[in-house]
Order: sequence, then C-alpha cells, then structure tokens
Amino acid sequence: MRKFAVGSVAVFGSLLVALAGSQAKAATPDLAQAQAVINAHSQIPDFVPPGPPFDARKCMAGKSLLSIPTSSSIPFVDGIENSMGSVAKQVGFKFQQWKNQGQPTQWVQGMAFGIDNKFTGIDLMGGIIPNALAPQVAAANKAGVKVFATHYSDTTQPADPAVAVTLRIPFHEVGEIIADWITLKTGGHANVLIVGSSDILPSKPYADMLGATLDKVCGPGCKHRYVTVTVPTWSTKIQTTVQGALIADPTINYIVPLYDSMSQFVIPALTLTGHRKNVKIATFNGTPFIIDMVRRGDVEMDIGESLGWIARSILDGEMRNMCGLPSIGETLYVPLYIFDKDNAKDAGIPADFDRGYGDKHVAGYAKLWGMQ
Amino acid sequence: MSQAPNQADAGARISPGGSAGPALRKMNIARVAESFALLAATIALAAVFGILMPHSFLSWANVSTMLGSQAVLVVLSLALIIPLTAGDFDLSIASMLTLSSMLIAVLNAQLGWSIYAAMAVAIVTGAVVGVINAGFILYFRIPSLIVTLGTGTFISGVVLWISGANTISGIDDGLVSWVVVRHIFGIPLAFYYALLLCVAIWYFLGYTTAGRRLLFVGRNREVSRLSGIRVDRVRFLCLIASGVISSATGILYAGTIGAADPNSGTTFLLPAFAAAFLGATSITPGRFNAWGTLIAVYFLVIGITGLTMLGIQTFVQNLFYGGALVLAVALSQLVRKREPQDFT
Repeated sequence: MRKFAVGSVAVFGSLLVALAGSQAKAATPDLAQAQAVINAHSQIPDFVPPGPPFDARKCMAGKSLLSIPTSSSIPFVDGIENSMGSVAKQVGFKFQQWKNQGQPTQWVQGMAFGIDNKFTGIDLMGGIIPNALAPQVAAANKAGVKVFATHYSDTTQPADPAVAVTLRIPFHEVGEIIADWITLKTGGHANVLIVGSSDILPSKPYADMLGATLDKVCGPGCKHRYVTVTVPTWSTKIQTTVQGALIADPTINYIVPLYDSMSQFVIPALTLTGHRKNVKIATFNGTPFIIDMVRRGDVEMDIGESLGWIARSILDGEMRNMCGLPSIGETLYVPLYIFDKDNAKDAGIPADFDRGYGDKHVAGYAKLWGMQ
Repeated sequence: MSQAPNQADAGARISPGGSAGPALRKMNIARVAESFALLAATIALAAVFGILMPHSFLSWANVSTMLGSQAVLVVLSLALIIPLTAGDFDLSIASMLTLSSMLIAVLNAQLGWSIYAAMAVAIVTGAVVGVINAGFILYFRIPSLIVTLGTGTFISGVVLWISGANTISGIDDGLVSWVVVRHIFGIPLAFYYALLLCVAIWYFLGYTTAGRRLLFVGRNREVSRLSGIRVDRVRFLCLIASGVISSATGILYAGTIGAADPNSGTTFLLPAFAAAFLGATSITPGRFNAWGTLIAVYFLVIGITGLTMLGIQTFVQNLFYGGALVLAVALSQLVRKREPQDFT
C-alpha cells in the first residue's frame, strides 16, 4: 500500500512537472509589451522640464568650466564637447575643452590645468572613470574646484562619491529597447549574438539587461550569447569573432553590437559568411555613418541620442551645482530615439550628429534657463 | 647600427697639411650648433606658446605639471634607447609598462598585497620578459622587431586576462604620494626619478667600460666580436635592462594616476620612439643618448601641451608626433652622412 502511495505521488509529480514544462514551452512572447516600448521610442521626443527653472546667465556670471573628454578623437564625444561649447557661449560663461587623445597622462595635465587656472568646475566627460584619476580628483577637491563626471556609466552602477555631480546614461534601458525590437521583429524566434566590450564600463549592465529582457519578453523561442572584444582590437577581432560564431551556429538571425561603430566590422563578416540577407543588426549610439547604413539597409536599427540634448543636460546639472541649486538627479535627461529605414533620412543625407531628433530641447532648455 | 664618426675622426679627416685650423673651428661650431639645435628649438617653441598664452603656459604650475606628468614618457624612452644603442628594437616596452601597472593594481588593490611586494613582482616580471625577448632574439637568431612585436602582443593578452579588461583603481596612496603628490621646488618626484635615470644612463654610456662596450656593439657587432667583446651577452643584458626599466615605468604610471587600465599604456610606444630618434639628433648627434632623449620628450610635450591649451584639433597632435619622428630620423641620417642603419 505504501509503495502504491509513493508510486502515485511520483506519477502525479511527474505529470505536474510535464504539465509545467509544456506550459513553459507554450509560453508566447509578450509582443504587446514589446510594441508599447518600441512605440514610445519611435516618436520625436518631447521636452519636459527636468527641474525647476533658474536664471543661468545671472548665476553663471564669473564662473568657468573646463571639460576633459575621454578622447577628442571620438567624433561622438567631440560633438558633445563642441555642442557644450556653443551652449556655454550662449549662456555667457567661460568654457574650455581640454583636447586630448585618450591618454591618462593628458587627463592628469588637464586636471592640473583646471586647478591651477582656478576653474569653478572640471567635467570628466564621456568615459573617464573618476576613480582612475583619484589623486587628481582629490587635489581638485582640496583646491575647491568642483569635479563632475558625466556620460560614463549606467544608472544602475554606483556614483563616485569623490565627485560633486555624477550624470549617467540608462544604458540598461537601451538593452531593453533592443530586446523588445528583436522580439517584435522575429515574433519571438530569435538567436542573438551580442558583441560587447568589457573594457567599457556600462557594457555589463547593458548586455545583462538585453539578455534578461530577451529571456522575459521573448521567452523560450529566443536564445542569446555574449562575446566581448576590447576597444583597441575592434578592427581586427570583431570580424573574425562574428564569422566564427556564424559558422558555428548558422541559425543566428540577429547581431547586436553594443556600440554602433562596431557594426562596420560586423558587416564584412556577414558578407563573407553569406548571411547578409538573413542576419539583422540592431545597435545603439546614433553615429551618423551608421545611420547612413540604416538608410541603405545594411543595419536594421540604431538607437540614437541627440548630442545637443546631451550637452544641454550635462550643462544643466553642472550649472545647477555651480550655482548652489539643489540637484535634480543623477541621470542625464536624454531621450533614446529609434532610427530605422523609415526615418533614417530625417538625420540628413549624409546623416548628421544632431539631426532627426527634433529641436524641442533647444527652446525647452532656453526657457528653463531664463533665456527666452 | 652605424654611428656618426666622433669629433676626433671628423677633425682628422679634414685636417690634411695642417691647414685645417679655421676649418676645424668651423666644423666644431657647426657640431655645437647641431648638438644644441633641439634644445634651442624647445626653448623657441616654449617662447612661442608663452607669447600666445603668457599667463597660463608660462605659469610655474603648468611647467611643473608638464615635467611631472610626462616623466612616464621620459623613463620609457630611456628604457628604449638602451636596446636601440645595441642595435635592437624593443616594441614590447609599452606592453610591459601596461603589464607592470596592471600587476600592481591587481596584486595591491585587488588581492591586498603590500605595495612593495607588488612592485617587486612587477620588476621581476620585467626582467623575465627581457630574458624571453633576448632568448628568442639571440638563440633563434630572430630579428628583434619580430620577437618584441610578438611578445608585446602576448603581454597585452595577459594584461586583458588578469584585469578582465577593466580599469582597476585603489592603488596604495603611498605609491601615489611618492610619485605625484610630494614635490620638490613645486615639481612632482616623478620628474626627479626620470632625471636620476637620465644621469645614470648618461654616466653608464659615457664613463664606464661596459657602456663603451655597448656603444661598440651598436656600431659594429662583427668588429666588436673580433675585438673580444661578448656581443650576445651585451645584447642580452640590454634587453633585460629595457624590460626592467619598462616595468619601473609601469610603477610610475600606476603612481601617477592611482589606477591601471588595460589599454592606455600602449599609446606611449610611438611617442617613445619619436623621442628616442629625435633625441639622437641632439647633444651627441647621431647617437641615442640620455640627455637628448630627455630634451626630445619635453620638446614633444611642450608642443602637445601648447596645442592642447590652444584648443587645436587633436589630429594636429598626430601630425606633430608623426612629423617629428620622420623629421628626426631624416636629420639623424644627414648627421650620419646617410649611412644605412643596421637594426636586427
């Protein structure tokens, strides 16, 4: 009798497990949720004031800002810097860039220059990790120069306590949007190769969220794999890595280079392996030549950030701090906007860094800063 | 590597019949002018930027920053001139710098080793890399260019492996303090370490038997061998020296920024070569030398810093580095009467 009872329980348990398994396999991708996310990021962004207005011209009088970009050789970074420069000119305060080629010793010189010339603030922009310049940041703090760190990490990563203002980008949200796009386009049947760079700080939360969203929204019909190629080896390793992955697994139908400039090395791999038609590329940054590729159909979609919007959001946070106003948060107010074959031409032909996003931020920030 | 004839040789050649007095004097004036041309150019460059930006460029704070923050490049360039003098390239120096700084970061900041132990490991690793380079170059008779290109790439892989391709911060404040925080006459200690090394190499090459042997080996290996100099041993020690000094540069680099990242160190390779070859046109023209290298580094640094402070586009920095390198080698060749160089 006891054996029968145990046997019955075992059979019943097995049935439950089998039922549960069949339920998981039968789970369908959440296309409605994916569509909602994609819709939200396909509209020309509207400007919503990120904080209370203030008189920027008045409170920034006599103040100065030195901006040290991670490397002036990166067009995206240099574009933000130039935009910051022209906005600072409109506001009417001294702004100087420390043009460099990405060498930490050049950043060290820039920090010393900012301290010695008594700038009100120094902005480490676009990828410089404040901790990697700890002695210089400490020296600036000691000298009463405020240090800001902007556009260098994900919002889920801890802020550096040594800097006065940290302004980050929600890279993980980008991962979520791309996962939703792939889910929608494949109807929940995607095999995704994610190509990232572990030497870029936000890569991990960004790739993690992309994978997690695919698991959650796309469901069991989707699988994904992450490979990493460090920045200095992009030109030599991305192509071979992607070729190898496609040969090993010909069912891959989406490739996600986490940063869109990687795409130029992915496309030759698709051509050489004969996967140009059936493998799509979805990526992030909105670099002009990649938007051109979107327009030509080489890349399916590219999520872009308006450089002018980034520049204004950075300056907004930093001016508030230099003026002694309360902080309005540690996330850059920068809408993420999807470019695909239908709207890529809006970015210009050839594409430009700051076109295609509308211009509501220009008037919006001018009003916020009491300049209109 | 072929070297320019020394002053005595030059004088002997142009003094037949004892009528060479004015000619010799003219020659000597020309050589002195040639020796100090780079120094004069450096001063002139600083003067130009000083006129353009009198308050910021000529401030003692800016001078001190230039001297201190670029000591890393001085020491790396000095590491390079030792094998170059012996006629060998060492393309692994920048990777060795990166490995050394990353070893310190991993051992000290991540694994909690004392900074002294981490520094010792870094130095020993530099010596080991030097031995490996020398072993392949001398035993297998492979050109140094190929061997050190390979080991440099291999070391870059090791750096990515041990760091997980991440920047690692949190290096002992003691090291930072002894490199950039403490000052003498307002200049960070890093500059004085570079200066000490410069004096040591100048003395070694100019005033010791071993140093003279090294110069002979660089000038003509076969003649040196027939003269009883153990050529392979000299080259072996030179490659170890460059490995060890590159490691020491890594320690300075880690102390300068208080962290280590897996990529940026390799960007010093071209400036180090530019400085070494540019330096060979100065002080002792036609020969790699310590003081010439020091002046060359600061010539490049003054140029780059001035351009940066003026807000000039960064491509101009590449034009400056690359142009200076080609120009330096061309001038060096003119000094050598266009003799072919023999690097292996």
